[in-house]
Amino acid sequence: MSRERVLVAMSGGVDSSVAAALLIEQGYDVVGATMKLFCHGEDVPDRPCCSLDSVNDARRVCEQLGIPHYVLNLESRFGHDVVDNFVEEYARGRTPIPCVRCNTFTKFRDFLKKGDAIDARWIATGHYARVVDGELRRGVDENKDQTYFLWGIDRAVLARMILPVGDLDKAQTRAAAHAMGLEVIAEKPESQEICFVPDGDYARILEQRLPADAPALSRGPIVTSNGRIVGEHNGFARYTVGQRRGLPGGFSAPMYVIAIRPEQRAVVIGNRDELLGNGLVAREVNWLVDQPPVGARVSVRVRHRAALTSAEIIRLDDQEIEIALDDPIAAITPGQSVVFYEADRVLGGGFIEAARQPGRNLPVLAA
Amino acid sequence: MPADPVYLDHAATTPVREEVFEAMKPFYGPRFGNPSSTHRWGREARAALDEARERVGRCLGARPDEICFTSGGTEADNLAILGSWRALKKQGRRAVVATPIEHKAILGAVHQAALEGAEERFLAMTPDGVIDRGSFDALVDDQVAVVSTMWVNNEIGTVQPVPELAAIAKERGAMVHTDAVQAFGKVKIDARSQKFDFLTISGHKFGAPKGIGALFIRRGTHLEPLMHGGQQDRGRRPGTENVAAAVGLARAAELTIAECEAHCERLRKLRDRLQAGILAKVPDAIVHGRNAERAPHILNISVPGTDSESLLMALDLRGIAASGGSACQSGSTSPSHVLSAIGVRPDLASAAVRMSLGALTTDRCIDRVIEVFPVLVAKARQLTAAE
Repeated sequence: MSRERVLVAMSGGVDSSVAAALLIEQGYDVVGATMKLFCHGEDVPDRPCCSLDSVNDARRVCEQLGIPHYVLNLESRFGHDVVDNFVEEYARGRTPIPCVRCNTFTKFRDFLKKGDAIDARWIATGHYARVVDGELRRGVDENKDQTYFLWGIDRAVLARMILPVGDLDKAQTRAAAHAMGLEVIAEKPESQEICFVPDGDYARILEQRLPADAPALSRGPIVTSNGRIVGEHNGFARYTVGQRRGLPGGFSAPMYVIAIRPEQRAVVIGNRDELLGNGLVAREVNWLVDQPPVGARVSVRVRHRAALTSAEIIRLDDQEIEIALDDPIAAITPGQSVVFYEADRVLGGGFIEAARQPGRNLPVLAA
Repeated sequence: MPADPVYLDHAATTPVREEVFEAMKPFYGPRFGNPSSTHRWGREARAALDEARERVGRCLGARPDEICFTSGGTEADNLAILGSWRALKKQGRRAVVATPIEHKAILGAVHQAALEGAEERFLAMTPDGVIDRGSFDALVDDQVAVVSTMWVNNEIGTVQPVPELAAIAKERGAMVHTDAVQAFGKVKIDARSQKFDFLTISGHKFGAPKGIGALFIRRGTHLEPLMHGGQQDRGRRPGTENVAAAVGLARAAELTIAECEAHCERLRKLRDRLQAGILAKVPDAIVHGRNAERAPHILNISVPGTDSESLLMALDLRGIAASGGSACQSGSTSPSHVLSAIGVRPDLASAAVRMSLGALTTDRCIDRVIEVFPVLVAKARQLTAAE
C-alpha cells in the first residue's frame, strides 16, 4: 500500500517545520507548501516582497527534510476574504480577528483544495490544537493553544486534518527541532503580530486602503456613557474596546474605551465597571459538533488566552446566538470571536456582535 | 520521484552537453591562465578565447570582434538597450520601443531607460502573439533610439519577422536589438544578411553552462558600457573573461547549428504530437499562439476550469516538469505578462502551462504526458465544478 500523502502548510516557523518532520517520521508522503498571502511591495524594505524570508526558511527546511516544497499564491483570495474584511470591520467600528478568517477560508478551504489537486488525503499545519476522534480539542500546551482561531473551519475538514504539534508544548517543539537538526528555524522568535500588518501598525493599512476622508479615520468626539463630550479623537478605527492609551485624563477612576459608535464617529469611554459584560450576542456561528440546545451549559472564551468562563446558551437561531455569562467579563469586543468549549473539546464559535451589560437589556455595543 | 521523470522545461534551461563539458575542462585545469597576461599561460588562454569568439561569430554570421561575451541573456539585453540608449540620447533620439511580451530582462532595461528620460513605447500585439504591423509603423519613427523585438517568445514560442522589421527600423535610423535567446538554433540567424545591430544569445538554453551568453554588436556601433574597469573586450565588458564558459558556449553553439535542421524537425514532430494528443482528450484546451508561426520546441496551453499552480504541482509530483507564468522572486507563479499582453482572459492566463521540448524529450515522454495531463485536467475540473 502506498503511503498516504499529506500537504503541510509551512510558514518557515518552528511549529510547521516540526510538524512536517514529525509526519515524515510517522511514514507519510509529505509535501510542503508555503502560502503567499500578501505583498508589501517596496514599502517595507526589511520585509521583501512576498514575505520572502519566510518562504526561504520553509524551502530550506524542506530541502533538509528531502521533501518537495511549493509556493502557492493565494494572494487574491486572502486579500478578499481576510484583508478586505479586516479593513471593513475597522471601518464599522469593530476589532477584527483576521487569523480566524485565514484559518476558515485560506488554510482550511483554499489551501485544502490545493491538497485535493495533488491527491493529498491529509492536510497538516503547525497549530497548537488536536483532532481526536473527529473532534477539535485544545492543544496540550494551554499557553499556546490556538483553538480560539480555529472554530470557523468546516466541520467536515476535521476528518482530513493532522495537527502534529498539538500534543507538544512549545519547549518540546523547539527541542524536537534541534533533535531533528532543523537549526535554521529551531530558535526563531514567535510571531505575535498579524502577518500582513508590518510592525503591528494596523492603522497604516487602514490609511492605505480607506479613502482619506473615511469616517473611521476622521476626527470625532470622545464621550462618556452619559453623552458628555470630554475630548476628541483622530479616527475611531484607532481605538478598540478595553483600550486605555490615548484617552483624556482628569477622571477619578481609570477610564477605558467601552464602545465605539461609528454612526456618531464617537469613542465612548467609561470606568472599569462599565467595561463589564454579563452576556453577548454572536453571529456567523459555526459548530464543530452537533449543535447544542438552548439551555446548554458551555465554557466560553472571548479573547485569545483569556480565562474560560461558564455560560449558558439562552437563545439560538439561524442568525445569532445569545449567551448569558455566570460571571461578567471585561471588554467583550465586537468583531472578536467567542469560542464555546466543553472541557477541552471545541464545540464551535462565532463573531461577537455585541455585549450585554448588567442592568441593561439592549445590546448597547451593536454597530 | 517516479522512476521515469519527464523534463519538459528546456526553455528554462538545458543540461550541459557532454562534449561541451569536455571542451571546458582544460580551462579549469592546466590552461587556467588569464587571457590578458602576456606570458605563455596567458597566451594559451587568450588563444582559446579568441578562437571561441571566432566560432561563436561564425555561428551567427558575424565577425569575431562583433561578439561580446556576457554573463548571460540578461546582461546582454541590458547592455544592448541601456548601452545604446545612453549613447544615442545625446543625439536627440529619446524613444525606446519594445514589445510587451519581451523577457523581463528587456522590460526591466526599458524601464530603467525610462527612468533616465526615455519615452517608452510598447508595440501592439495580435491575439496570436505577433507584432501588429500598423503599430510598428506608427511607433518606430525618427525619434526612436532603439527598438527591441524578441525573435522567439519564451512563453508561447511565437516567431516575430525580425529580419523584415529590422530592415524597416534601420531605414528610420533606429538601432535594432533582438533577444534571440529562444531563437538560436530554431530560426535562421545571419548577421551578414540581416539588419539587426544587436542580438542576444544565452548559453544554457542550448547545452552550455549557466552564466555565459553573448551579445552580437555590429561593427561600428557605439555603445556605452554598463560596467567600468579594464580594457577587456574593447572596454565594452571589463573584467577577466570567463574563458572556460566562452569555450563551452562556442562548442555548444557549433553543435546546435550543425544539428539544427534535424533537431527542429524532431522537436516539431514531438510537439505537434503532444499538442494533438492533448487536444484529442481535452478538446477545449487553448493553444496560445496557435495561428502564428511558432518555434518547434514550445507548447503553451490553457485548460478552462484549471489553474496552473495546482496542475504544475500535480505534474511535478508525478515526475513531469513543466512551467507556468513568469516565476516571482518567491517562486510562486503569477499570471503571465505575455498572455495578458496578447489579450488572454485572466482565468485562462492563470491556467497556462508551458511545456518546452529539447534534447531530453523522447517519444516516451510525450506518451506519458498525453496520458497523465488529461487525467490531471479532469481531476482539476471536477474540483472546480464542486465549488
